[in-house]
This record gives sequence, C-alpha cells and structure tokens, in this order.
Amino acid sequence: MDPRIIQQIVVPLFQVLLVIVALPLAIAYLQLVERKVLGFMQVRLAPRRVGWHGLLQPIADAVKLLIKEDVVPEKSDRFLFTLAPIVTVVPALVALAVIPLAGAPLTIRGITITPWITDLNVALLYLLAISSLGIYGIILAGWASNSKYSLLGALRSSAQMISYEVPLGFAVIGVMILTGSASMVEIVNRQKAAGLWYFLPQILGFFCYFISAVAETNRVPFDLPEAEAELVAGFHTEYSGMKFAFFFLAEYTNMIVVSSIVTILFFGGWLRPFPNVAALGWLENGWLFLGPLVLGAFLGWLFDQRAGKDLRFMFAGGLLGAAAGFGFAWTDAGGLATLDVPVLSGAFWFGLKLSFFLFMYIWFRGTYPRYRYDQLMRLGWKWLIPLSIVNVVGTALVVTLRG
Amino acid sequence: MAGTMTGTAARPSGPREFLKTLLLLELWVGLWVTLKNQFRPHITVEYPKETVDLSPRFRGVPRLRFHPENGEELCIACHLCETVCPDNCIHIVSEKKPEGKGKRLVSFEINYERCCFCGLCVDPCPTKPLTAIYMSHDYEMADFKREGFVAPLKTLLGGVDSKEYKS
Repeated sequence: MDPRIIQQIVVPLFQVLLVIVALPLAIAYLQLVERKVLGFMQVRLAPRRVGWHGLLQPIADAVKLLIKEDVVPEKSDRFLFTLAPIVTVVPALVALAVIPLAGAPLTIRGITITPWITDLNVALLYLLAISSLGIYGIILAGWASNSKYSLLGALRSSAQMISYEVPLGFAVIGVMILTGSASMVEIVNRQKAAGLWYFLPQILGFFCYFISAVAETNRVPFDLPEAEAELVAGFHTEYSGMKFAFFFLAEYTNMIVVSSIVTILFFGGWLRPFPNVAALGWLENGWLFLGPLVLGAFLGWLFDQRAGKDLRFMFAGGLLGAAAGFGFAWTDAGGLATLDVPVLSGAFWFGLKLSFFLFMYIWFRGTYPRYRYDQLMRLGWKWLIPLSIVNVVGTALVVTLRG
Repeated sequence: MAGTMTGTAARPSGPREFLKTLLLLELWVGLWVTLKNQFRPHITVEYPKETVDLSPRFRGVPRLRFHPENGEELCIACHLCETVCPDNCIHIVSEKKPEGKGKRLVSFEINYERCCFCGLCVDPCPTKPLTAIYMSHDYEMADFKREGFVAPLKTLLGGVDSKEYKS
C-alpha cells in the first residue's frame, strides 16, 4: 500500500479504534479499582468471587449489562429515550481526540504514529465546547423517561453543570495566558521550557479547575443528579442494559478526560518530575523499574487486604517489582534501557499522574458526604467563580508586568 | 468549600478558625482518615469459606442428643416438648417399653418449616442433668425441597453440641 494512504487513513483509524475498543476495557477495570479502593477504605473486601481477587468481575459486569433486557418505559418518548445515552457518550469519547499521551511520535518504517489523535491549536476551546454538550444527553434522558425522579435529576444536573462550567472555563484561561496557546502539546512543551509544572504558579487555577471538574462530571461530593437517597438514581433511573452502560461509560470517560486535562494543564502531562534538572535524567527511562514497582506495590496491596498483615505485602510486591525492573534494566534484555523510547517514558509518566487524579476521585467518593443543593450553588457562584476570576486577573497582571 | 456551611448555631470565629476554614483543614483530615483506613486489615468474613466463631451459648436449631458418656437414649418420650411447642412443629410417636416401666421413642420429628427457634421445648425437658432436646450450634439448614425441613430422629441426633454454661 502507498505509505501516504497508511499515514493518512490507516493510522488515524487505528488510533480511533484503539480509543473506542481499549477505553471501555480500561473503564471496566477502573471501576473494579474504584470498588476495591472504596471497599478498602470501608475496611471490607471488595469483589473477590469472580476470578483471582475479583479480577474478572468487570468482564462479568459487562456481559451482564450487554445481555440484560432493554426496558423502555411505556409512556416515555422512545426516540429521545434512545438518543439520550448516545448524546451523552459521544462527546465524552470525542473529547479524548485531543489528549496527548506522550510527547514524541513513534516512527515505525517511515510511518509516524502520534500519541494523540489530533493536535488542535484550539484544543482547550474544543474541550470546553465538547464537554458542555454532555449536558444535553442528561437533560434529554431526564425528560424522555417521563419520570419525576429522572426529571428532577436532570434539572439539578443542568443547573449544576451550567454553574460549574464558568469557573472551569476561567481556571483554564490562566494557563492559556501563561502559554499563549490552547494546544495541549504546546502547553506541555512550554512547561518543559519553563522548567516547572504549572500547578505552582497556577495553584488557585488548579484548585478551582479540579473542584469544578469533579462537579462537572457529577461525581461525589457533587453527585446531586443521581443522589440515590433522594432521587432513586436521578436521570438514569429508567435506564437499563446497554443504554445504562452508555451513561456509565460516559461518566467514567469524562472522569478520564478531566483528569487528563488536569495532568496536562497543571502537572506537565508526559514530563518527568523536574523536567530540566539533568541530574534526574535517569527518570526519563524510569518506567523500566518504576512501572514494575508501582504494579508490584498495587498487586501487593490488593493481596494485603486478604491476608490482613499491615503493609508487608505491599512493600514486598513493590520491592519485588522494582528488583525485577532493575534487573531488567541491568541486563538490558531486549535493549529497552538503551533504546530511548520517549513514547513509553511519556506514557508512563502521563499514566502515573492520570492514575493519581483518578484515585483522587475515588478517594473523594470514599470520604465526603454529598453537598446540599443550596450549598452546591453557593460554592459554585460565591467561591469558585470569584476565585477563578481573581486567578485570571492575577495571572494576567503578573504576565503583563514581567513583560 | 468549608465556608459554605449554613447553620443557625454560632460557629467559633477568630483568626485561627478563619485560617482553618481557608486551608480546608477539616477536609484534609477527612482524606487522611480514609487513606489510613485503607491499610487496615479487612473485617469481612467470606461466609461459605470462613465462618465466625460462635459464642459458647449460641442457640441455633433445636436437636436431640444421647448421653455423651454411655450413649443411652436420654429422651423418655414424655411428650412435654410436643405439648409446649407453640408452633406444633414437634411430632413424637412412642411405645411402651417391652420390659420395665415407661415409654421409648419410635420416631421424633421436628418440622423446621414451622419452628420459630424459641427454645420453649428445652425448658420443660425433665431429663437431668442433660436435657434430651437442646439448642445446638447448628445454623445452616438450607434445602432445595420442603421435605428436607422435616427432620427425622437420625438428623436430630447429628447436631453440633453447644457448650453449656457451667454454673
């Protein structure tokens, strides 16, 4: 085949397919991690029956959702009822197109595979626009279900998401002022040039962004649209089977998108810590042993809860993983350590930071009680919007004064 | 965040309290608590694989027993438990002993579908020092058929003994 055709058509299709196929799988396992972490926080064992330590539970859940009966309420608006989950899930998936996973493209036999689907120069605007579209799905779902719980959930959701869109947008402007660019790749490159992650000069912006983002994705403590104690399940009360799975997918995709944006804007995306300190250059290929270390510690931690022996297994697993990684790097099996693969290194650091923010989401869910509706509005309008405006003005002033 | 509380009760104020609110101190404390708890050993008992330790005086399903030392039949077929049972779930068939005084058991059935596990059958049991009918340590009695809940003498004698409180 003509390499141009491969470059222009096959590679983008492959990237898109990767997102569409790999993402639901990743989300299924993210959900398992969420259940595990929540369980551990509540001193109980999370799913453990399906597979080793419940590792097949997500598959079982997915199969259940796929083969479950698709109930449509009799008096619902059938067309809108079917449309709503699609309208919710498509913007969530589409938003991933501009998220760069690593800095440098991978070149195989003259064909360049970029670690992002597209590098828009207005990526931030695009993300803001796309993420606002998700509200339509929720409102449509609430309306089409013809159920009071769904409608109330949808109404709450629309008010909440419109309120929090404002600080979300303002918080992002601070970074745009600092970089003078709205392209995700450019923003990270500027952070590398500046030698620091933007959460330091933009601590206020980061704070506003993350809180608004949690509210925007309808997660605890801002999960009023699906407050199960008051509204059964909110806007997706009447949904089951595949359609429910779509809402589910959209929620978790949004979480991933938002965490990626936080990582890229404020925590240097794929950059290693202290990107300009040459003494820490070994971190560039740090994934070789840090990857096994994190994985080993995580598996040890999973096993730990079963045995109930403090943190012994976690440390043991981490050490074992690190030793394996070091040994691997030492003997240089496969020549990976000397083979400089910026894609892998970038993807590792990006993934680590992304996982941390996803963990924050779960952590919040395990810790905080739900906001009352008026508290939610007060927080949004009286605290976050003024704070984010102060942040924009302050950043603009500093940037102007320093020339 | 923390400043969004609405309450009628007067809240402590002052520079220290303000700083606490501003730095979201209590939210961090909450996060620390959940993080710490994450590393505590679990307290879940995975039931079919593990079971909880029963306390010595746990009262489960009523069962019958022989004398633990000489293996004699304790029940003297006096029908007292059958009489006192509020659910009428005990059914005893007895006959006169071929020699000597008294009666002996032919069959003894407890219908666990009806039994409310009140333990009233144990109270009037006249055999001393051990009662013939007793509340055992058995508690697993699920079955697929209704017939499985009518326990004959053989099942009744196979109970897990409880540890009686020694006075």
